[in-house]
Amino acid sequence: MKISQESGIPIYQQIATQLRSDILEQRIPSGEYLPSIRGLAKELRISVITTMKAYEILEKEGLVVAVQGKGFLVRQQDAEMVKEQYRRKVEGHLQEALAAAKMARMSMDEVIMTLKILDVEGE
Amino acid sequence: MENVIEIRNLKKKYKGYSLDIPRLDIPKGFTTALIGENGAGKTTLLNFIAGVRLDYDGDLQFFGKYSDKERDKKNCPVRDMIGYTGTGNYFIPSWEIYHVEKAGKLLFKGFDSDKFWKLCKDMAVVEEEKDKQKFIQSCSDGTVMKIMLAGVLARDTNLLVLDEPASPLDPYMRDRLCEMLQNYMEEGDGERSVFFSTHNVADMENVTDYAIIMENGAVVDAGFVEDLRDKYVLVKGDSKDYEVAKDVLIGSRKNKYGFEGICLAEKIEKLTGLDILAERPTLSQISVALIKEYSRMGK
Repeated sequence: MKISQESGIPIYQQIATQLRSDILEQRIPSGEYLPSIRGLAKELRISVITTMKAYEILEKEGLVVAVQGKGFLVRQQDAEMVKEQYRRKVEGHLQEALAAAKMARMSMDEVIMTLKILDVEGE
Repeated sequence: MENVIEIRNLKKKYKGYSLDIPRLDIPKGFTTALIGENGAGKTTLLNFIAGVRLDYDGDLQFFGKYSDKERDKKNCPVRDMIGYTGTGNYFIPSWEIYHVEKAGKLLFKGFDSDKFWKLCKDMAVVEEEKDKQKFIQSCSDGTVMKIMLAGVLARDTNLLVLDEPASPLDPYMRDRLCEMLQNYMEEGDGERSVFFSTHNVADMENVTDYAIIMENGAVVDAGFVEDLRDKYVLVKGDSKDYEVAKDVLIGSRKNKYGFEGICLAEKIEKLTGLDILAERPTLSQISVALIKEYSRMGK
């Protein structure tokens, strides 16, 4: 896991983002526990509260569930979750595309047109 | 949320200065930093908590069940459960390093001599057998701090109360200190807590969960670091807007080209329309601004 102190993105969000993709891409399979809060905090040299906040985000999203006295258990990911994962991917790439379009001073119509052309070419 | 220490109506009067803390809780299972300028009352507060000094009014409760009034009663485990390191003349002047181990074994249940010597070796305090006979008085401030840390970490405690542990240490050793504190917390799995004072907020920020900022014997603000960083916003702007902005800003600073200060996130709307840059502040930036705002020093 890579944590940047300078990126401007809160550290808890960086951790949540990386664990989220680990879970959705099943690098941490369902039925397994996330690293212990204090263990991860120690490894990453961050505070316990930051780690907790990251885990709470994942819990709210339904990716993990807190088990009293044991830690955070990765839940079975259903089809809807996997779809959501791809939706996120699309959003991410589109955001990048929009940023690039802004640099090139492309209008929204031009962007949409480009997307449609790409779609036709793809078929 | 459980608390490891609950402070109620803590009062102490000195000439021209008083410590007054109506209510303060230190959360259990976390690392708490005590921040404030020289003379703010940090050492006094830590000494009262550690039981090094008892000349105060008020109530302290430890580990959710032990009152400070029963701390020195027979069979009360509080003293065994708290490890304390201070500043200044902590050891008896004539002591050699091995006296620390001897005293530790004598004074505290669960003092682990092997662990003590291992820690001394890891921190390069004792490299060969004859180093154990080194006079503590002849050691540097940094080495004395390392010996104190080895002394408390060799014990089986549930709370560390550390007064300025980072100050005498070099940058690498500060990093090691953070690692040692995190090891301590991890081994405790939520049962252990650390409470330390520091001026080196930036060096310790990564391991700090909860922060208490003190000025003039009173608590100015306290909270989990992530919450404090959401509570305040770091604001930078052009000097022409300073007059409008300064009433909302805390600990602001103006120069020829612009100004900088923190502001409560809830009040940021009052700066609408000004050409400002708003950022999420670090704990150091919040600390400096609050200390500046309440400082007895000239601004």
